[in-house]
Amino acid sequence: MLTKVLSIANEGLKGIEIEVEVNVADKGFPGFGIVGLASKAVEEAKERVKTAIINSEIEFPNAKVTINLAPADLPKDGSCYDLPISVGILASIGELILPKDKAYFYGELSLDGSLRHTRGVFLLALLAKEKGIKKIFVPRMSANEASVVSNVEVYPISNLKELIRHLSGEKIIKPLRKIETEEVLGDIAAEFDFAEVLGQEQAKRALEIAAAGGHNVFMMGPPGSGKTMLSRAMSGILPNLTEKESLEVTKIYSITGNIPPGGSLIRQRPFRSPHHTTSQVGLIGGGSNPRPGEVSLAHRGVLFLDEFPEFGRNSLEALRQPLEDGLVNISRAAGSVTFPAQFMLIAAANPCPCGYLNDPKKECKCSTLQILNYRKKLSGPIMDRIDLHLTVPAVDVNNLMVSSQDNHNEKSEIIKKRVVEARKIQTERFKNLDRIHSNSDMKNKHLKDLANLTSGANLLLKQAVNKFNLSARVYFRLIKVARTIADLDKSNEIKENHIAEALQYRVKNED
Amino acid sequence: MNKNKIQNYKKGKEGEEIAREFLIDNGFRLIESNYSNNLGEIDLVMSDKDWLVFVEVKLKIGDKYGTPEEMISKNKLSQIKRVSESFLILEFPISKNFLKYRIDAVCIVLNENKTIRSIKHYENLY
Repeated sequence: MLTKVLSIANEGLKGIEIEVEVNVADKGFPGFGIVGLASKAVEEAKERVKTAIINSEIEFPNAKVTINLAPADLPKDGSCYDLPISVGILASIGELILPKDKAYFYGELSLDGSLRHTRGVFLLALLAKEKGIKKIFVPRMSANEASVVSNVEVYPISNLKELIRHLSGEKIIKPLRKIETEEVLGDIAAEFDFAEVLGQEQAKRALEIAAAGGHNVFMMGPPGSGKTMLSRAMSGILPNLTEKESLEVTKIYSITGNIPPGGSLIRQRPFRSPHHTTSQVGLIGGGSNPRPGEVSLAHRGVLFLDEFPEFGRNSLEALRQPLEDGLVNISRAAGSVTFPAQFMLIAAANPCPCGYLNDPKKECKCSTLQILNYRKKLSGPIMDRIDLHLTVPAVDVNNLMVSSQDNHNEKSEIIKKRVVEARKIQTERFKNLDRIHSNSDMKNKHLKDLANLTSGANLLLKQAVNKFNLSARVYFRLIKVARTIADLDKSNEIKENHIAEALQYRVKNED
Repeated sequence: MNKNKIQNYKKGKEGEEIAREFLIDNGFRLIESNYSNNLGEIDLVMSDKDWLVFVEVKLKIGDKYGTPEEMISKNKLSQIKRVSESFLILEFPISKNFLKYRIDAVCIVLNENKTIRSIKHYENLY
């Protein structure tokens, strides 16, 4: 008998409806075959489905079982077809009654017949909503992901037996209550508090500006000066994700399987710190079946590249497009996909290979050639796209052992309050503009109307551009940073002091 | 041969006997049993009307170790195909009498007390 069950496949961040056709033939030599461009993971579903059905105390049909995943020309990957295939087989042999209205089945089976956490459930729910499908059956472990999507009944399934009993009406499973997104959005503590970072006031101020306006930061300093700690504390002062942003991030995390079992929306701004041996594909995304890379996983959050010059030259130069456009286009034989990649870049580097160039206490052991080669990695186009350039000097040992009472450093939460205020002003400013959330997202054409420079500030800026020979891009970027500083100052206009501070972060301390 | 192998061999013989009787009852005629050459072995070579039929016999006692159908894998099938095709050439005096040939399988399941639980005949495996 022939049965058709609906499920989905993913192409980039898009879901595509898949019809799983199951035929259990009365004639022919018994066997089990899957067609429809199934990958190895889908092929292996045979063994999982067969064993899971047997272990659910149902006799597996000794007959010729043929599975077709339609449309047949779209490559299918992943373990999510286990459930639709087994539901199809069980319906074909009359062990299970399919629901009357259309429903999606999705999930990986364990050999004992229970369902495992499966990636991509969030996208399934979104597609169900789009296609007007009312019911989706998903693994219990992953069901929370789907429960934030409205107008879809999410049935969490623990194992095959439970599903059979539910569909026969013997023991009904209650659909999950829809979770309001506000309920899950909220504060999560960062790894470090800014108060724990001793000294480095200038760097803290710069990171505050970066967090407020979404600007890119480059930090240079000797080993052990606190670059990494500062960056990690960064997630504590970033404003919470808005609902819209959270949905965007969750999509990417769901498809890459980064949502833990039982997890729901991603609440915290992503903080990604890939190791410097990461390949270009790992960083940007790609693969024959394109998958998002680190830049997309850092979408709406921070991409922290420690030991920046140690990254492969290809990887670094490939950052140009995402830094400018906020998205990556990946074209492969299998197709072309676009992943969002609006991230804040924080790069950290030593001034030279040994790390102690210009250090007041330690001597640098590098030759001029070594230093030149090291700096060559920091190419003009990349450095041009970074707004805030910082020097993080080594900290004096005498200041290190401060008891918590004497620590008068600002706590992250106080800084965060200021950042959130500044973001509020920005949200108000960009409320009529699409896809622009912070000052760094502004396009040059918006600057004329929105920057609001005083004539004095304008004059100062022009003088600086001429004196330091700054590029046109830098000119516009300076205005954006100054705008953020003015926002933090709650000033409607960009004044001279704002421009001056912005300039201070831009003019590199060339040796 | 160790004890286990002798037992398996005996079981195989038993299965072939059951299959042969079953097929002869269904109007097949025996041409040769246990035909073998250096490419492998075929359990039964029979004729069914104008068909030359190569038969693979599988016997299982109880269902503890799976069904006999599961034991006929793709590899086993391609091996049978190879031997049957070589039979067509090597035993030309026999094969010239037939225009068509096919491969069949007979799957037998016995109860623990050696009575037949089920016997299934599959025609024309691909």
